[in-house]
Amino acid sequence: MSEISVEITGLKKSFGSLDVLKGLDVTVNRGDVVCIIGPSGSGKSTLLRCVNLLEEPNDGKIVVNGVELTDQDVDIDLARTKIGMVFQSFNLFSHLNVLANLTVAQRKVLKRGEKEAQEIALRNLERVGLLEKANSMPAQLSGGQQQRVAIARALSMDPDVMLFDEPTSALDPELVGDVLGVMRQLADEGMTMLVVTHEMQFAREVADKVIFMDGGYIVEEGPAAEVIGNPQEPRTQEFLARVLDPTHHGPSDPV
Amino acid sequence: MALSKRKRAEYFRYSQYTLLVVAALVIAFFADWEQIRTAFFNFKTMGDMFPNVITIALKNTLIYTALGFAFGLALGLVLALMKLSSIAPYRWIATIYIEFFRGIPALLVFIGLAFGVPLAFQLQFDIYSTVMLALGIVGAAYMAETIRAGIQAVPKGQVEAARSLGMSQGRAMITIVIPQAFRIILPPLTNELILLTKDSSLIYIIGLARDQYELTKFGRETLSRSPSLTPILVVGLCYLIITLPLGYLSRYLERRSGGKKVSVL
Ligand SMILES: Nc1ncnc2c1ncn2[C@@H]1O[C@H](COP(=O)(O)OP(=O)(O)OP(=O)(O)O)[C@@H](O)[C@H]1O
Ligand SMILES: [Mg+2]
Repeated sequence: MSEISVEITGLKKSFGSLDVLKGLDVTVNRGDVVCIIGPSGSGKSTLLRCVNLLEEPNDGKIVVNGVELTDQDVDIDLARTKIGMVFQSFNLFSHLNVLANLTVAQRKVLKRGEKEAQEIALRNLERVGLLEKANSMPAQLSGGQQQRVAIARALSMDPDVMLFDEPTSALDPELVGDVLGVMRQLADEGMTMLVVTHEMQFAREVADKVIFMDGGYIVEEGPAAEVIGNPQEPRTQEFLARVLDPTHHGPSDPV
Repeated sequence: MALSKRKRAEYFRYSQYTLLVVAALVIAFFADWEQIRTAFFNFKTMGDMFPNVITIALKNTLIYTALGFAFGLALGLVLALMKLSSIAPYRWIATIYIEFFRGIPALLVFIGLAFGVPLAFQLQFDIYSTVMLALGIVGAAYMAETIRAGIQAVPKGQVEAARSLGMSQGRAMITIVIPQAFRIILPPLTNELILLTKDSSLIYIIGLARDQYELTKFGRETLSRSPSLTPILVVGLCYLIITLPLGYLSRYLERRSGGKKVSVL
Protein backbone atom coordinates (compact mmCIF):
# COMPACT_ATOMS: atom_id res chain seq x y z
CA MET A 1 0.00 0.00 0.00
CA SER A 2 1.02 3.54 -0.61
CA GLU A 3 2.51 5.81 1.99
CA ILE A 4 -0.36 8.24 1.66
CA SER A 5 -3.44 7.55 3.77
CA VAL A 6 -5.72 10.50 3.00
CA GLU A 7 -5.42 12.64 -0.09
CA ILE A 8 -7.79 15.54 -0.65
CA THR A 9 -7.52 17.69 -3.74
CA GLY A 10 -9.52 20.76 -4.70
CA LEU A 11 -12.22 20.14 -2.09
CA LYS A 12 -15.13 22.56 -2.25
CA LYS A 13 -18.26 22.52 -0.14
CA SER A 14 -21.06 25.00 0.23
CA PHE A 15 -24.33 25.03 2.14
CA GLY A 16 -26.76 26.83 -0.10
CA SER A 17 -25.13 30.12 -0.95
CA LEU A 18 -22.61 29.83 1.89
CA ASP A 19 -19.20 28.70 0.59
CA VAL A 20 -17.59 26.92 3.51
CA LEU A 21 -14.66 25.13 1.85
CA LYS A 22 -13.22 27.00 -1.10
CA GLY A 23 -10.70 24.57 -2.56
CA LEU A 24 -8.53 22.61 -0.14
CA ASP A 25 -5.66 20.22 -0.64
CA VAL A 26 -4.74 18.00 2.29
CA THR A 27 -2.39 15.04 2.43
CA VAL A 28 -2.05 12.75 5.42
CA ASN A 29 0.74 10.20 5.37
CA ARG A 30 0.24 6.77 6.83
CA GLY A 31 0.94 6.77 10.55
CA ASP A 32 0.93 10.54 10.82
CA VAL A 33 -1.08 12.76 13.12
CA VAL A 34 -2.40 15.88 11.43
CA CYS A 35 -4.03 18.54 13.58
CA ILE A 36 -6.41 21.09 12.11
CA ILE A 37 -6.75 24.38 13.96
CA GLY A 38 -8.60 27.55 13.15
CA PRO A 39 -11.30 29.94 14.34
CA SER A 40 -14.93 28.93 14.83
CA GLY A 41 -16.84 28.68 11.58
CA SER A 42 -13.74 28.30 9.44
CA GLY A 43 -14.95 24.92 8.15
CA LYS A 44 -12.86 22.50 10.21
CA SER A 45 -15.76 20.18 11.03
CA THR A 46 -17.04 20.37 7.49
CA LEU A 47 -13.63 19.32 6.16
CA LEU A 48 -13.47 16.40 8.56
CA ARG A 49 -17.02 15.33 7.75
CA CYS A 50 -16.20 15.35 4.05
CA VAL A 51 -13.43 12.81 4.66
CA ASN A 52 -16.01 10.11 5.44
CA LEU A 53 -18.69 11.71 3.30
CA LEU A 54 -21.01 12.64 6.15
CA GLU A 55 -21.06 15.80 4.05
CA GLU A 56 -21.21 15.44 0.28
CA PRO A 57 -18.49 17.60 -1.33
CA ASN A 58 -19.52 19.88 -4.18
CA ASP A 59 -16.23 19.51 -5.95
CA GLY A 60 -12.82 17.91 -5.56
CA LYS A 61 -11.44 14.46 -4.97
CA ILE A 62 -11.05 12.50 -1.73
CA VAL A 63 -9.00 9.33 -1.66
CA VAL A 64 -8.66 7.34 1.55
CA ASN A 65 -6.31 4.38 1.53
CA GLY A 66 -6.52 4.03 -2.20
CA VAL A 67 -10.32 4.21 -2.37
CA GLU A 68 -11.73 7.26 -4.09
CA LEU A 69 -14.74 8.21 -1.98
CA THR A 70 -15.88 10.86 -4.42
CA ASP A 71 -16.33 8.18 -7.08
CA GLN A 72 -20.08 7.76 -7.66
CA ASP A 73 -19.82 3.96 -7.65
CA VAL A 74 -17.94 3.59 -4.39
CA ASP A 75 -19.50 1.47 -1.62
CA ILE A 76 -19.50 4.24 0.95
CA ASP A 77 -20.71 2.03 3.80
CA LEU A 78 -17.82 -0.35 3.24
CA ALA A 79 -15.34 2.54 3.00
CA ARG A 80 -16.62 4.06 6.24
CA THR A 81 -15.87 0.88 8.20
CA LYS A 82 -12.19 1.70 7.61
CA ILE A 83 -12.56 5.34 8.73
CA GLY A 84 -13.19 5.79 12.45
CA MET A 85 -14.90 8.96 13.60
CA VAL A 86 -15.06 10.53 17.05
CA PHE A 87 -17.51 13.36 17.65
CA GLN A 88 -17.47 16.35 19.93
CA SER A 89 -20.71 15.18 21.53
CA PHE A 90 -19.63 11.49 21.86
CA ASN A 91 -22.84 10.15 20.26
CA LEU A 92 -22.81 6.83 22.08
CA PHE A 93 -25.94 4.82 21.31
CA SER A 94 -27.98 5.73 24.35
CA HIS A 95 -30.18 2.61 24.36
CA LEU A 96 -27.24 0.18 24.33
CA ASN A 97 -24.75 -0.57 27.07
CA VAL A 98 -21.05 0.03 26.55
CA LEU A 99 -20.28 -3.46 25.30
CA ALA A 100 -23.18 -3.41 22.84
CA ASN A 101 -22.07 0.02 21.62
CA LEU A 102 -18.78 -1.59 20.69
CA THR A 103 -20.19 -4.77 19.17
CA VAL A 104 -23.30 -3.64 17.27
CA ALA A 105 -21.53 -2.43 14.13
CA GLN A 106 -19.02 -5.28 14.24
CA ARG A 107 -21.91 -7.71 14.21
CA LYS A 108 -24.30 -5.98 11.82
CA VAL A 109 -21.80 -4.46 9.41
CA LEU A 110 -18.66 -6.60 9.54
CA LYS A 111 -20.75 -9.72 10.28
CA ARG A 112 -18.39 -10.84 13.00
CA GLY A 113 -19.58 -13.58 15.34
CA GLU A 114 -20.73 -12.62 18.82
CA LYS A 115 -17.73 -14.11 20.57
CA GLU A 116 -15.19 -12.52 18.27
CA ALA A 117 -16.92 -9.13 18.44
CA GLN A 118 -16.95 -9.22 22.22
CA GLU A 119 -13.30 -10.17 22.45
CA ILE A 120 -12.35 -7.28 20.18
CA ALA A 121 -14.62 -4.93 22.10
CA LEU A 122 -13.14 -5.88 25.47
CA ARG A 123 -9.62 -5.55 24.12
CA ASN A 124 -10.37 -2.02 22.95
CA LEU A 125 -12.12 -1.11 26.19
CA GLU A 126 -8.94 -2.15 27.94
CA ARG A 127 -6.92 0.08 25.63
CA VAL A 128 -8.93 3.10 26.77
CA GLY A 129 -8.85 1.97 30.40
CA LEU A 130 -12.56 1.26 30.83
CA LEU A 131 -12.79 -2.51 30.94
CA GLU A 132 -14.80 -2.36 34.16
CA LYS A 133 -17.51 -0.23 32.46
CA ALA A 134 -18.44 -2.88 29.88
CA ASN A 135 -21.93 -3.32 31.33
CA SER A 136 -22.69 0.32 32.13
CA MET A 137 -25.14 2.43 30.19
CA PRO A 138 -23.74 5.54 28.49
CA ALA A 139 -25.78 7.85 30.74
CA GLN A 140 -23.98 6.41 33.77
CA LEU A 141 -20.56 7.53 32.50
CA SER A 142 -18.78 10.85 32.77
CA GLY A 143 -18.16 12.80 29.59
CA GLY A 144 -14.53 11.75 29.54
CA GLN A 145 -15.47 8.11 29.92
CA GLN A 146 -18.11 8.39 27.21
CA GLN A 147 -15.59 9.85 24.82
CA ARG A 148 -13.09 7.08 25.54
CA VAL A 149 -15.83 4.52 24.91
CA ALA A 150 -16.57 6.30 21.63
CA ILE A 151 -12.90 5.97 20.70
CA ALA A 152 -12.95 2.28 21.61
CA ARG A 153 -16.11 1.84 19.53
CA ALA A 154 -14.40 3.30 16.47
CA LEU A 155 -11.26 1.22 17.10
CA SER A 156 -13.31 -1.97 17.25
CA MET A 157 -13.89 -1.70 13.51
CA ASP A 158 -10.09 -1.88 12.91
CA PRO A 159 -9.97 1.44 11.05
CA ASP A 160 -7.03 2.54 8.93
CA VAL A 161 -7.51 6.16 9.86
CA MET A 162 -9.26 7.97 12.69
CA LEU A 163 -11.03 11.33 12.51
CA PHE A 164 -11.50 13.38 15.67
CA ASP A 165 -13.74 16.47 15.71
CA GLU A 166 -12.87 18.51 18.79
CA PRO A 167 -13.03 15.39 20.99
CA THR A 168 -12.36 17.28 24.22
CA SER A 169 -14.34 20.48 23.66
CA ALA A 170 -17.44 19.24 25.47
CA LEU A 171 -15.51 17.98 28.49
CA ASP A 172 -14.92 19.44 31.93
CA PRO A 173 -11.28 20.58 32.10
CA GLU A 174 -10.22 17.88 34.53
CA LEU A 175 -11.44 15.14 32.16
CA VAL A 176 -9.64 16.39 29.07
CA GLY A 177 -6.36 14.78 30.05
CA ASP A 178 -7.74 11.23 30.05
CA VAL A 179 -9.02 11.53 26.50
CA LEU A 180 -5.88 13.23 25.21
CA GLY A 181 -3.86 10.52 26.91
CA VAL A 182 -5.71 7.83 24.97
CA MET A 183 -5.22 9.75 21.73
CA ARG A 184 -1.54 10.21 22.42
CA GLN A 185 -1.20 6.49 23.03
CA LEU A 186 -2.99 5.78 19.74
CA ALA A 187 -0.61 8.11 17.95
CA ASP A 188 2.36 6.33 19.52
CA GLU A 189 0.98 3.02 18.26
CA GLY A 190 1.12 4.40 14.74
CA MET A 191 -2.53 5.19 14.05
CA THR A 192 -3.15 7.64 11.24
CA MET A 193 -5.14 10.50 12.75
CA LEU A 194 -6.80 13.66 11.52
CA VAL A 195 -7.68 15.79 14.54
CA VAL A 196 -9.63 19.03 14.77
CA THR A 197 -8.64 20.53 18.10
CA HIS A 198 -8.17 23.64 20.17
CA GLU A 199 -5.65 21.84 22.40
CA MET A 200 -2.47 23.59 21.24
CA GLN A 201 -0.29 21.70 23.71
CA PHE A 202 -1.49 18.39 22.26
CA ALA A 203 -0.98 19.60 18.69
CA ARG A 204 2.51 20.85 19.51
CA GLU A 205 3.58 17.59 21.11
CA VAL A 206 1.82 14.96 19.03
CA ALA A 207 1.14 16.36 15.57
CA ASP A 208 3.44 15.58 12.66
CA LYS A 209 1.71 18.38 10.78
CA VAL A 210 -0.52 21.27 11.76
CA ILE A 211 -2.98 22.90 9.37
CA PHE A 212 -4.34 26.35 10.11
CA MET A 213 -7.66 27.04 8.38
CA ASP A 214 -9.51 30.31 8.06
CA GLY A 215 -12.37 31.41 5.85
CA GLY A 216 -12.57 28.15 3.93
CA TYR A 217 -8.90 28.09 2.94
CA ILE A 218 -5.76 26.54 4.35
CA VAL A 219 -3.77 29.57 5.43
CA GLU A 220 -0.68 27.86 6.72
CA GLU A 221 0.55 24.31 7.24
CA GLY A 222 3.69 22.59 8.34
CA PRO A 223 5.38 21.01 11.36
CA ALA A 224 3.84 21.96 14.70
CA ALA A 225 6.99 23.76 15.81
CA GLU A 226 6.68 26.10 12.84
CA VAL A 227 2.92 26.69 12.55
CA ILE A 228 2.32 26.99 16.29
CA GLY A 229 5.82 27.91 17.45
CA ASN A 230 6.72 30.38 14.74
CA PRO A 231 3.71 31.24 12.54
CA GLN A 232 4.41 33.25 9.39
CA GLU A 233 0.93 34.39 8.37
CA PRO A 234 -0.63 37.33 10.25
CA ARG A 235 -3.95 35.51 10.53
CA THR A 236 -2.26 32.52 12.15
CA GLN A 237 -0.37 34.77 14.52
CA GLU A 238 -3.53 36.59 15.51
CA PHE A 239 -5.48 33.35 16.03
CA LEU A 240 -2.75 31.77 18.13
CA ALA A 241 -2.35 34.89 20.21
CA ARG A 242 -6.04 34.77 20.95
CA VAL A 243 -6.07 31.04 21.76
CA LEU A 244 -2.87 30.95 23.78
CA ASP A 245 -3.59 34.10 25.76
CA PRO A 246 -7.36 34.54 25.72
CA THR A 247 -7.60 37.12 28.50
CA HIS A 248 -5.74 39.74 26.50
CA HIS A 249 -7.32 39.15 23.16
CA GLY A 250 -11.05 38.65 23.56
CA PRO A 251 -12.97 38.72 20.27
CA SER A 252 -14.79 41.89 21.33
CA ASP A 253 -11.64 43.48 22.70
CA PRO A 254 -10.71 46.34 20.38
CA VAL A 255 -7.24 46.93 21.91
CA MET B 1 -62.24 46.69 57.95
CA ALA B 2 -61.61 45.37 54.45
CA LEU B 3 -60.60 41.74 54.17
CA SER B 4 -57.15 40.89 52.88
CA LYS B 5 -56.94 39.12 49.54
CA ARG B 6 -55.88 35.89 51.16
CA LYS B 7 -58.69 35.99 53.72
CA ARG B 8 -61.23 36.57 51.01
CA ALA B 9 -59.95 33.59 49.04
CA GLU B 10 -60.29 31.48 52.16
CA TYR B 11 -63.91 32.52 52.76
CA PHE B 12 -64.67 31.83 49.13
CA ARG B 13 -63.28 28.31 49.46
CA TYR B 14 -65.35 27.60 52.62
CA SER B 15 -68.53 28.83 50.99
CA GLN B 16 -67.92 26.47 48.04
CA TYR B 17 -67.51 23.50 50.40
CA THR B 18 -70.71 24.44 52.21
CA LEU B 19 -72.57 24.63 48.95
CA LEU B 20 -71.36 21.18 47.95
CA VAL B 21 -72.39 19.63 51.27
CA VAL B 22 -75.86 21.17 51.02
CA ALA B 23 -76.27 19.88 47.48
CA ALA B 24 -75.20 16.40 48.55
CA LEU B 25 -77.70 16.44 51.44
CA VAL B 26 -80.53 17.54 49.18
CA ILE B 27 -79.77 14.76 46.70
CA ALA B 28 -79.49 12.18 49.48
CA PHE B 29 -82.80 13.31 50.98
CA PHE B 30 -84.88 13.46 47.82
CA ALA B 31 -83.34 10.62 45.82
CA ASP B 32 -85.27 7.40 45.58
CA TRP B 33 -82.56 5.07 46.82
CA GLU B 34 -84.55 1.93 46.27
CA GLN B 35 -85.12 2.98 42.68
CA ILE B 36 -81.45 3.69 42.15
CA ARG B 37 -80.39 0.44 43.76
CA THR B 38 -82.59 -1.66 41.47
CA ALA B 39 -81.56 0.41 38.47
CA PHE B 40 -77.81 0.17 38.94
CA PHE B 41 -77.13 -2.54 41.51
CA ASN B 42 -79.36 -5.42 40.66
CA PHE B 43 -77.39 -8.11 42.40
CA LYS B 44 -79.15 -10.96 40.65
CA THR B 45 -78.30 -9.55 37.24
CA MET B 46 -74.76 -9.02 38.42
CA GLY B 47 -74.51 -12.60 39.55
CA ASP B 48 -75.88 -13.86 36.26
CA MET B 49 -73.24 -11.96 34.32
CA PHE B 50 -70.40 -13.80 36.02
CA PRO B 51 -68.24 -15.53 35.07
CA ASN B 52 -68.96 -14.91 31.35
CA VAL B 53 -68.35 -11.19 31.56
CA ILE B 54 -64.77 -12.03 32.45
CA THR B 55 -64.07 -15.32 30.69
CA ILE B 56 -65.68 -14.29 27.41
CA ALA B 57 -66.31 -10.55 27.18
CA LEU B 58 -63.27 -9.11 28.95
CA LYS B 59 -61.05 -11.71 27.33
CA ASN B 60 -62.36 -10.91 23.85
CA THR B 61 -61.99 -7.17 24.39
CA LEU B 62 -58.35 -7.78 25.27
CA ILE B 63 -57.80 -10.02 22.25
CA TYR B 64 -59.49 -7.65 19.79
CA THR B 65 -57.59 -4.67 21.17
CA ALA B 66 -54.26 -6.50 21.08
CA LEU B 67 -54.80 -7.59 17.47
CA GLY B 68 -55.79 -4.09 16.39
CA PHE B 69 -52.92 -2.49 18.27
CA ALA B 70 -50.33 -4.87 16.81
CA PHE B 71 -51.54 -4.32 13.26
CA GLY B 72 -51.93 -0.58 13.81
CA LEU B 73 -48.41 -0.30 15.22
CA ALA B 74 -46.89 -2.08 12.23
CA LEU B 75 -48.90 -0.05 9.73
CA GLY B 76 -48.26 3.14 11.70
CA LEU B 77 -44.51 2.51 11.55
CA VAL B 78 -44.69 2.04 7.78
CA LEU B 79 -46.70 5.24 7.44
CA ALA B 80 -44.27 7.16 9.67
CA LEU B 81 -41.34 6.01 7.53
CA MET B 82 -43.26 6.96 4.39
CA LYS B 83 -43.92 10.38 5.85
CA LEU B 84 -40.20 10.85 6.45
CA SER B 85 -39.24 9.43 3.06
CA SER B 86 -37.31 11.47 0.54
CA ILE B 87 -39.70 10.18 -2.12
CA ALA B 88 -42.49 12.73 -2.37
CA PRO B 89 -45.35 10.41 -3.46
CA TYR B 90 -44.74 8.28 -0.36
CA ARG B 91 -45.14 11.36 1.78
CA TRP B 92 -48.33 12.33 -0.04
CA ILE B 93 -49.87 8.88 0.33
CA ALA B 94 -49.05 8.78 4.04
CA THR B 95 -50.43 12.27 4.61
CA ILE B 96 -53.67 11.52 2.79
CA TYR B 97 -54.08 8.26 4.68
CA ILE B 98 -53.47 9.88 8.05
CA GLU B 99 -55.73 12.87 7.45
CA PHE B 100 -58.49 10.67 6.04
CA PHE B 101 -58.67 8.09 8.80
CA ARG B 102 -58.15 10.61 11.58
CA GLY B 103 -60.94 12.68 10.15
CA ILE B 104 -63.73 10.11 9.91
CA PRO B 105 -65.48 8.25 12.75
CA ALA B 106 -63.99 4.84 13.47
CA LEU B 107 -67.53 3.44 13.21
CA LEU B 108 -67.51 4.14 9.47
CA VAL B 109 -64.37 2.05 9.07
CA PHE B 110 -66.02 -0.84 10.90
CA ILE B 111 -69.13 -0.58 8.73
CA GLY B 112 -67.03 -0.35 5.59
CA LEU B 113 -65.00 -3.42 6.47
CA ALA B 114 -67.88 -5.48 7.78
CA PHE B 115 -70.42 -4.69 5.05
CA GLY B 116 -68.82 -2.63 2.28
CA VAL B 117 -65.75 -4.69 1.49
CA PRO B 118 -67.59 -8.04 1.34
CA LEU B 119 -70.09 -6.52 -1.09
CA ALA B 120 -67.53 -4.76 -3.23
CA PHE B 121 -64.83 -7.40 -3.43
CA GLN B 122 -66.60 -10.66 -2.61
CA LEU B 123 -64.23 -10.93 0.36
CA GLN B 124 -65.42 -12.35 3.63
CA PHE B 125 -63.24 -11.68 6.67
CA ASP B 126 -63.64 -13.65 9.85
CA ILE B 127 -64.38 -11.69 12.98
CA TYR B 128 -60.78 -11.48 14.16
CA SER B 129 -59.50 -10.17 10.84
CA THR B 130 -62.28 -7.59 10.70
CA VAL B 131 -61.50 -6.19 14.14
CA MET B 132 -57.78 -6.34 13.56
CA LEU B 133 -58.06 -4.48 10.25
CA ALA B 134 -60.63 -1.94 11.39
CA LEU B 135 -58.96 -1.05 14.68
CA GLY B 136 -55.52 -1.23 13.09
CA ILE B 137 -56.44 1.01 10.16
CA VAL B 138 -57.80 3.67 12.50
CA GLY B 139 -55.08 3.27 15.15
CA ALA B 140 -52.32 3.44 12.52
CA ALA B 141 -53.43 6.90 11.46
CA TYR B 142 -52.95 8.20 14.99
CA MET B 143 -49.84 6.18 15.81
CA ALA B 144 -48.06 7.16 12.59
CA GLU B 145 -47.85 10.78 13.70
CA THR B 146 -46.64 9.75 17.15
CA ILE B 147 -43.99 7.42 15.73
CA ARG B 148 -42.87 10.06 13.24
CA ALA B 149 -42.43 12.57 16.05
CA GLY B 150 -40.48 9.97 18.04
CA ILE B 151 -38.14 9.20 15.16
CA GLN B 152 -37.49 12.91 14.67
CA ALA B 153 -36.81 13.32 18.39
CA VAL B 154 -33.80 10.96 18.18
CA PRO B 155 -30.70 13.19 18.05
CA LYS B 156 -29.10 13.49 14.62
CA GLY B 157 -25.73 12.54 16.08
CA GLN B 158 -27.01 9.01 16.68
CA VAL B 159 -27.52 8.46 12.96
CA GLU B 160 -24.20 10.09 12.13
CA ALA B 161 -22.40 7.81 14.55
CA ALA B 162 -24.14 4.79 13.06
CA ARG B 163 -23.38 5.84 9.49
CA SER B 164 -19.75 6.55 10.36
CA LEU B 165 -19.46 2.95 11.58
CA GLY B 166 -20.54 1.76 8.15
CA MET B 167 -24.22 1.15 8.77
CA SER B 168 -26.50 1.81 5.83
CA GLN B 169 -29.36 4.22 6.25
CA GLY B 170 -31.87 1.39 6.69
CA ARG B 171 -29.63 -0.49 9.10
CA ALA B 172 -29.13 2.64 11.21
CA MET B 173 -32.89 3.21 11.23
CA ILE B 174 -33.64 -0.34 12.40
CA THR B 175 -30.88 -0.86 14.96
CA ILE B 176 -30.37 2.64 16.33
CA VAL B 177 -33.19 5.08 15.59
CA ILE B 178 -36.38 3.04 15.92
CA PRO B 179 -35.50 1.42 19.27
CA GLN B 180 -34.72 4.86 20.69
CA ALA B 181 -37.82 6.40 19.13
CA PHE B 182 -40.05 3.79 20.76
CA ARG B 183 -38.57 4.51 24.16
CA ILE B 184 -39.47 8.14 23.70
CA ILE B 185 -43.03 7.50 22.54
CA LEU B 186 -43.99 4.75 24.95
CA PRO B 187 -46.27 7.07 27.00
CA PRO B 188 -48.32 8.35 24.04
CA LEU B 189 -48.50 4.84 22.60
CA THR B 190 -49.97 3.61 25.87
CA ASN B 191 -52.61 6.31 25.58
CA GLU B 192 -53.34 5.10 22.07
CA LEU B 193 -53.86 1.62 23.47
CA ILE B 194 -56.47 3.02 25.86
CA LEU B 195 -58.34 4.64 22.99
CA LEU B 196 -58.26 1.41 20.99
CA THR B 197 -59.58 -0.54 23.98
CA LYS B 198 -62.65 1.66 23.95
CA ASP B 199 -62.94 1.66 20.16
CA SER B 200 -63.03 -2.12 20.16
CA SER B 201 -66.64 -1.74 21.32
CA LEU B 202 -67.58 -0.67 17.79
CA ILE B 203 -67.50 -4.31 16.77
CA TYR B 204 -71.07 -4.47 18.13
CA ILE B 205 -72.42 -3.49 14.69
CA ILE B 206 -71.26 -6.83 13.31
CA GLY B 207 -73.19 -10.01 13.92
CA LEU B 208 -71.33 -11.92 16.61
CA ALA B 209 -71.65 -15.41 17.95
CA ARG B 210 -72.12 -15.59 21.72
CA ASP B 211 -68.53 -16.60 22.44
CA GLN B 212 -67.27 -13.70 20.31
CA TYR B 213 -68.95 -11.02 22.43
CA GLU B 214 -66.76 -8.32 23.80
CA LEU B 215 -67.67 -6.14 26.77
CA THR B 216 -70.04 -3.64 25.16
CA LYS B 217 -71.91 -6.21 23.12
CA PHE B 218 -72.14 -8.45 26.16
CA GLY B 219 -73.49 -5.56 28.22
CA ARG B 220 -76.15 -4.64 25.65
CA GLU B 221 -77.19 -8.25 25.29
CA THR B 222 -77.64 -8.64 29.05
CA LEU B 223 -79.44 -5.31 29.14
CA SER B 224 -82.02 -6.47 26.60
CA ARG B 225 -82.92 -9.39 28.87
CA SER B 226 -82.82 -7.61 32.22
CA PRO B 227 -83.90 -4.00 31.97
CA SER B 228 -81.74 -2.33 34.56
CA LEU B 229 -78.57 -0.34 34.14
CA THR B 230 -76.62 -2.92 36.10
CA PRO B 231 -75.03 -4.61 33.06
CA ILE B 232 -73.78 -1.26 31.80
CA LEU B 233 -72.26 -0.52 35.17
CA VAL B 234 -70.55 -3.90 35.28
CA VAL B 235 -68.99 -3.68 31.81
CA GLY B 236 -68.02 -0.09 32.51
CA LEU B 237 -66.08 -1.29 35.52
CA CYS B 238 -64.49 -3.98 33.38
CA TYR B 239 -63.22 -1.34 30.94
CA LEU B 240 -61.78 0.57 33.86
CA ILE B 241 -59.95 -2.56 34.98
CA ILE B 242 -58.08 -2.36 31.67
CA THR B 243 -57.79 1.37 31.13
CA LEU B 244 -56.94 2.67 34.60
CA PRO B 245 -53.73 0.63 34.94
CA LEU B 246 -52.76 1.61 31.39
CA GLY B 247 -53.27 5.26 32.21
CA TYR B 248 -51.19 4.82 35.32
CA LEU B 249 -48.51 3.04 33.30
CA SER B 250 -48.49 5.86 30.77
CA ARG B 251 -47.99 8.51 33.44
CA TYR B 252 -45.31 6.40 35.10
CA LEU B 253 -43.40 5.99 31.82
CA GLU B 254 -43.70 9.69 31.18
CA ARG B 255 -42.26 10.52 34.60
CA ARG B 256 -39.47 8.01 34.14
CA SER B 257 -38.45 9.55 30.83
CA GLY B 258 -38.06 12.82 32.69
CA GLY B 259 -41.29 14.21 31.30
CA LYS B 260 -39.55 14.69 27.98
CA LYS B 261 -42.41 15.72 25.74
CA VAL B 262 -42.60 14.76 22.11
CA SER B 263 -44.51 17.15 19.96
CA VAL B 264 -47.00 15.45 17.70
CA LEU B 265 -47.77 17.46 14.56
N1 LIG C 1 -25.43 21.49 7.71
C1 LIG C 1 -25.15 22.80 7.56
N2 LIG C 1 -26.04 23.62 6.95
C2 LIG C 1 -25.77 24.94 6.78
N3 LIG C 1 -24.65 25.52 7.19
C3 LIG C 1 -23.72 24.76 7.82
C4 LIG C 1 -23.93 23.38 8.03
N4 LIG C 1 -22.85 22.87 8.67
C5 LIG C 1 -22.01 23.91 8.84
N5 LIG C 1 -22.52 25.04 8.33
C6 LIG C 1 -21.87 26.36 8.31
O1 LIG C 1 -20.59 26.20 7.74
C7 LIG C 1 -19.64 27.00 8.40
C8 LIG C 1 -18.48 26.16 8.86
O2 LIG C 1 -18.95 25.26 9.85
P1 LIG C 1 -18.01 24.22 10.58
O3 LIG C 1 -18.85 23.49 11.56
O4 LIG C 1 -17.28 23.42 9.58
O5 LIG C 1 -16.99 25.19 11.32
P2 LIG C 1 -15.89 24.80 12.39
O6 LIG C 1 -14.61 25.32 11.88
O7 LIG C 1 -15.95 23.36 12.71
O8 LIG C 1 -16.33 25.67 13.64
P3 LIG C 1 -16.27 25.30 15.20
O9 LIG C 1 -14.88 25.54 15.66
O10 LIG C 1 -17.22 26.28 15.81
O11 LIG C 1 -16.71 23.89 15.34
C9 LIG C 1 -20.36 27.71 9.53
O12 LIG C 1 -20.67 29.01 9.11
C10 LIG C 1 -21.62 26.90 9.71
O13 LIG C 1 -22.67 27.71 10.14
MG1 LIG D 1 -16.57 22.20 14.41
